[in-house]
Amino acid sequence: MALTSAFVDALREIVGSNGLVLTDEGRLVYECDMHTFYKGMPDVVVLPERVEQVQAIVRLCRTEHVPIVPRGSGTGLIGGAMAPVGGVMVGMNRMNRILDLDFRNRCATVEPGLINLWLTKAVSEAGYFFAPDPSSQMVSSIGGNVSTNAGGPHCLKYGITTNHVIGLEMVTGKGELVKTGGKVWDRPGYDLTGVAVGSEGTFGLVTAVTVRLLHAPEAVKTALASFASMQAAAEAVSAIIAAGIVPAALEMLDERMIGAINAGVGAGFPAGAAAVLLIELDGPRAEIEIETERAVALCRERGAFEVRVARDEAERALLWKGRKEAAGAVGRLAPSYLLQDAVVPRSKLPAIMREMEAIAARHGVLIANVFHAGDGNLHPLICYDDRDPVQLERAKTANEELLNACIAMGGSVTGEHGVGIDKAKNLLLQYGEADLNFMYRLRRVFDPDGVMNPGKLLPSHPACGEGFRPVRPILPEGAWI
Amino acid sequence: MSVSTRSVPGGLAAIVGRERLSEDPAALAGAAIDGRAPRWLVRPASVDELSRLVALAHDAGLAVTPRGSGSSLAMGRPPARLDMVVDLQGLARIVEYSPDDLTVTVEAGVTAGQLASLLGAHRQFLPVDPPGAAGRTLGGLVATNATGPLRCRYGGLRDLLLGVRFVQADGVVTWGGAKVVKSVAGYDVPKLMVGSFGTLGILAELTLRLHARPECERTWLVTFSSASAADQLVAAVLDSSIQPMRLQWLNARALGEAGGPAAPVAVAVALGSVEAAVVEQGERLRDLAKRSGGELHGVTERWWSAWDRILYSGQVMLRVAVPASGLAATASAIEEALREDPAHVVAACAATGVFTIIASDAVIGTLPRAVETLRSFVSEHGGHVMVARAPQSMRGIIDPWGGVDPSAFQLMRRLKQTFDPAGTLNPGRFVGGL
Repeated sequence: MALTSAFVDALREIVGSNGLVLTDEGRLVYECDMHTFYKGMPDVVVLPERVEQVQAIVRLCRTEHVPIVPRGSGTGLIGGAMAPVGGVMVGMNRMNRILDLDFRNRCATVEPGLINLWLTKAVSEAGYFFAPDPSSQMVSSIGGNVSTNAGGPHCLKYGITTNHVIGLEMVTGKGELVKTGGKVWDRPGYDLTGVAVGSEGTFGLVTAVTVRLLHAPEAVKTALASFASMQAAAEAVSAIIAAGIVPAALEMLDERMIGAINAGVGAGFPAGAAAVLLIELDGPRAEIEIETERAVALCRERGAFEVRVARDEAERALLWKGRKEAAGAVGRLAPSYLLQDAVVPRSKLPAIMREMEAIAARHGVLIANVFHAGDGNLHPLICYDDRDPVQLERAKTANEELLNACIAMGGSVTGEHGVGIDKAKNLLLQYGEADLNFMYRLRRVFDPDGVMNPGKLLPSHPACGEGFRPVRPILPEGAWI
Repeated sequence: MSVSTRSVPGGLAAIVGRERLSEDPAALAGAAIDGRAPRWLVRPASVDELSRLVALAHDAGLAVTPRGSGSSLAMGRPPARLDMVVDLQGLARIVEYSPDDLTVTVEAGVTAGQLASLLGAHRQFLPVDPPGAAGRTLGGLVATNATGPLRCRYGGLRDLLLGVRFVQADGVVTWGGAKVVKSVAGYDVPKLMVGSFGTLGILAELTLRLHARPECERTWLVTFSSASAADQLVAAVLDSSIQPMRLQWLNARALGEAGGPAAPVAVAVALGSVEAAVVEQGERLRDLAKRSGGELHGVTERWWSAWDRILYSGQVMLRVAVPASGLAATASAIEEALREDPAHVVAACAATGVFTIIASDAVIGTLPRAVETLRSFVSEHGGHVMVARAPQSMRGIIDPWGGVDPSAFQLMRRLKQTFDPAGTLNPGRFVGGL
């Protein structure tokens, strides 16, 4: 969309020339997030430094009916931080201060542009950490984590972002500055904090976040179990969860991933392993000693042919090395891939693994797996060559079938990446018209004019392109007296 | 144009049957809320019946108050209007229990006690233990955001409610969330429903995250001669790698009522894990207790059930929330504000800074002023005071919810207007008269 020069001048008035990106090459950086399939360049990027500027930007855009796309570090995987219809992108990176560290109350208040790992670095000496640990944590911002309700390997035990956010300051799509929650628990009224986390910038722009800090565990124990089949590994995962053991992380890699990683960084996963489980327990030393023994025994019972338990920090780092290199190693398998984020109930892992093999065989596609097995959150990488349109179509079909299979087992279309523009249509698999209609109206409470991140998170109705209509129960016609 | 007319009681009876519709004055008086009797009391037996009842009420312009066991009827403001009470205890099915996934789906009328017996056989539990939980419905616990000492380790219902089926003000059955432990598909609607007090929708079905019951649980009381010494222990435990299941601050009266040793203040600590870890952490607790000048006493698990009975008695319960760092100062302020009531019981979740106070029925007349005093004290710490249970006379004098941040309240009001524009659901009883 074309912005008037008066509009751009008004933005300049708010953030100064330093806070504006107008050139083509400058804006190119902002045309997509890590899901590079979806591209859309904003007409202008603004980089506010203070909450008053954020509020002024929203008010201006609302008056002028210009869409706003919030952006943190741009590491999202769902096409959430791109501008499908142009408009103003608000980059929050310059608002990256730690406003308050409060160890006695075990919380911190930070600006949204602060990098996730920086917070843990700032509190680790005092013995604390910030639990959500998406793989992008070295670069992703806490505001972005809040926006997508990000997860990570250690969310199995500690919960995802929402379980760690206790207060927000945000500018709604209506331009109001709202403070919700904070250091004091159980405020009377609706849980606005809870419902705003994961709203993907469709409610407004978050300007400060109060998060919980956790005390670092006394000890950590990491083990790597190798299996001759995916089935056996999946059954071991189900057995560990069913036994009431809650590992901090329980990650699974399949044969293809193992091969790609071994070929690259030489992580030394055992030859002949069709699947490995990376099991990490943390907590009181006496507890994890016993629970690690039990988890190892369960793996052996399910056919693990080798189990390595790290004896020190160096060995632990070695076991994690392969897992951490996974994203980079995928390039060795295929030029491109579709990344899934679906979830199944943990007890259904063996079944979904069988189903996945059948789908891959049916469509002649290569599927590699590296995922958070402990909470049933799958990350199959459906490989294809982007120079071959036939391969892309096959990959898409396999992807759809896999999603449907996960939903049929009682799962969810996304466990931690979010919806964005990529998965909006998939919500139709999981929710009925009434449910989506409720969400539409919820969005309008925060953003009555629809300026915030349009086209993201919710699908448009396949028939009319508008909202969804709920089905009312049938009652006799007529007036009640 | 001719308009056909139908009688409301005829319509209600057609939905639930005569036997589950009460119009009898005695039954209606028994279902009164703050002295106001409804015109109808209905007991739906399915989500579909509930949906049609609410749709009828909506079309007929009736005000509906949902209730579970009735344990929280003396909470909130008096209803602005009340035509129909919907008793949800008939929605009592366990829909789906999957022990291997540690999740359960139940209808809202299932009590926490019924669920606990089902889960106990699998050494699992729903770690939510507000006063009197066993007899209270899960729908009621979620709607009131009920909380107890286990919050310290397991979080609150907002962390445990994965999915929710509810009936909107116009009768539309709606689902939010998921049945798996991890999902970010769409808005987090379950969060919106926790603590919403039946004002945005009537809860019909809940999917909950469960936890494995620790193999070994032990409780200790650490008694102190001063609040500052007790506070020192709390700070030391929270800043250590000890992971208490419960960490409760108790005043002298609370200690005495539960049969504990005599002392001005105490901290009750429950640890749960494998036995070796409990023993080892218990030793560390002993060290910390000694260092802060406390005396350690072992008690049995029965301590917590005695405790539960105390908090579930009495006409008045107050909730005071402050940042956890303000524990000792707030405890002193509470003793000062309630000095005319020597029998009051004070407990607090020391990890969150949420106090529960049971005042004596004899001093109800003095409590509104005590609440005002406490409100002015905690406002300096950004805290709040809620009258969680009280006779109508007291809730008529002071706002039981207390003030809400005006900017947040704007949004709350828009939520209510959006989802219940006609004021069908529990009108007037929630914060700010929503």
